[in-house]
Amino acid sequence: MTLASDHDTAPQVGDLAPKNSLPSGETLIRGLIWAVVLFLCLTPFLLVFAISFGHKVEGASWVWGFSLDNYKRVFVGAEWPDNVTFLYLQKLWYSLYYAVIAAILAVITAFPFTYFMTGLSRRAQAAWLVFILSSLSLSEVFIVMGWDVLLSNRSGLPMLFKVSGATQWLKDVGWFDTLRDWGLANPRNVKFKTSVFATVLTMAYLVWPYAVILLYPPLSRLDRSTVEAAQTMGAGPWTVMRTVILPSVRLPLVGSMLLLFVFLLGVYVAVTVFAEPAKQTMAVSVYEAVRGNTLNAPFGSAQAMILLVTAAVFLGLGQWLSRRNA
Amino acid sequence: MKGLVLDNIHKSFGSVRAVEKTRLDFAEGELTALLGPSGCGKTTLLRMIAGLEEPSGGALILGGRDITALPAHKRRFGMVFQSFALFPHLTVLENVVYSLMISGTNKAEALEKGEKLLDLVQLAGYGDRRITALSGGQRQRVAIARALAQEPDVFLLDEPMSALDAKLREDMQVELRLLQQRLGITTIVVTHDQREAMTMADKIVVMSQGRVEQVGAPHDIYHKPANAFVADFIGRANFFDAVVEKGNLRLGDTLIETDVPAQFINGSPVRVAIRPEGPALDTPDMKGTRIPAKITFLRDLGPVRDIHLDTAIGPMIVEYATGETDRAFAVGSATDVTLPPGALHIFPRENTAPSEAA
Repeated sequence: MTLASDHDTAPQVGDLAPKNSLPSGETLIRGLIWAVVLFLCLTPFLLVFAISFGHKVEGASWVWGFSLDNYKRVFVGAEWPDNVTFLYLQKLWYSLYYAVIAAILAVITAFPFTYFMTGLSRRAQAAWLVFILSSLSLSEVFIVMGWDVLLSNRSGLPMLFKVSGATQWLKDVGWFDTLRDWGLANPRNVKFKTSVFATVLTMAYLVWPYAVILLYPPLSRLDRSTVEAAQTMGAGPWTVMRTVILPSVRLPLVGSMLLLFVFLLGVYVAVTVFAEPAKQTMAVSVYEAVRGNTLNAPFGSAQAMILLVTAAVFLGLGQWLSRRNA
Repeated sequence: MKGLVLDNIHKSFGSVRAVEKTRLDFAEGELTALLGPSGCGKTTLLRMIAGLEEPSGGALILGGRDITALPAHKRRFGMVFQSFALFPHLTVLENVVYSLMISGTNKAEALEKGEKLLDLVQLAGYGDRRITALSGGQRQRVAIARALAQEPDVFLLDEPMSALDAKLREDMQVELRLLQQRLGITTIVVTHDQREAMTMADKIVVMSQGRVEQVGAPHDIYHKPANAFVADFIGRANFFDAVVEKGNLRLGDTLIETDVPAQFINGSPVRVAIRPEGPALDTPDMKGTRIPAKITFLRDLGPVRDIHLDTAIGPMIVEYATGETDRAFAVGSATDVTLPPGALHIFPRENTAPSEAA
């Protein structure tokens, strides 16, 4: 009885320990969500990373392994050191080239539109936003098909140039030769397919609604009285734009360009349709390696990793520049 | 002379008439307050003066020159906005010298002038700070210095004190007035705060529903209100509806002896206003109509004391300055209130012109 009594009254180890020694339901759910998110984000990345070190088996698929040959092939070609080729670096260059120009073009054209849109009535702004958001439902394939028709030599803009006499006028004033030098004309008429111009234009068109949506919040938050204040201090429209509006939204502008740039690095359909075969991008090369005739997943994965690292480097660089100039 | 004249200027937004035809003269070096309730058109008028709003008609004349069609950036009118509208991406000094830098002034010269202006608004040493690191009062001073940097012909301020707390607002009103007097610059201030207008202005323009109700010196506006709206909006007043009867006023059974202006003929319905400091309690020797009253409420405000009365002509508030009377008042006690004829302001009843009232 005494023992039992002591046992009843004396503090026990279990009593001193925190009551919630087991994780609560909320903690479990939170941990589960984190685990799922991490799994979904990291698994594909880790798989691609691991596969990039494997190697292709001729006449078959590929096997796991640890070899840097795929990376070496991207940078200096498969036959290095006997023979050096920069074919894949050239593809990477075109990836960057198209993505940078298209991102800048999209932001530069979306910026004035969005700025004037934010000056409209609430009702008009809502109508424009709904229209722009609905255009996002169009797939890349659909958009490229539209531009393909629009720029095709037989039925699109070139035909319009010819029928309207614009081609002849360009020849008369001597600008036709300049267009030929730029690869935008054949001996008979203007041509937009295949060209860097058509590729970049279509890519910019693809991301233009995103540019508007990214720029809308900072521009709608812009204090319009600062614009008016600048006007009362002698600033004309261009000076206001240069000294007040652009510096006020510099970070969102850079951020939008970076986001669109990263998105555009992976564009596939527009490049395959509009870019010349010699000017295809690394995204196309990745797809061809993984799904094309070669079925070389390790090499495709190595290219994908390099594309990913390039995007990360550019994002980091952009952020560093923004911070430095902030 | 760089006086500003608004010649029948008016503004409509669609079918809404924001500012009726207005003619105003702003003398050089004078501070004018545009005073009125929200939505009365005072800010629209100021924005038309600044060139930020295009008038629907009329003209703006500055020093004899028509500037109606001149865009805002060519007017050289410094303006302080309600939100101050400082540029967040620039430092304090960069904000101040903005107008100088974009006009191509030598950088060293501009910076030197900027430092002087910061000194003028008591912000010397703040030049390198970010705008976000300043308090409301400091931001207002930066906005003032920035607007003054281009040495404007006219200085415009749109509700410049509304973002400040009550104590700071009082201090800044005096500071701004002293600064304006020192610089002798033609200044127009928009405000809905009659105390602010009375403190700062040489001249007050009282506006209501897009119309100018009265223009005058603060003292005249308060003591000689042109209509019931001005009497009500500026300061406090007790209002009664009455009918003119043989040169006096009839309020129910009570006849108030006064000198009704000749424009009101017998039987005219009128609105009578009397400021709370006008009537007097228990003063049998004072000239005026004495009305029995009962004290219903006492309100001690520190410098003044309000005595709320229930009288035969309706409820009334009488104000005494602290120490003005030795008499002890008590709620519920009976008294009599004297209405001196000179303290009564008589206006035509709302929507009833004097001639129509006959």
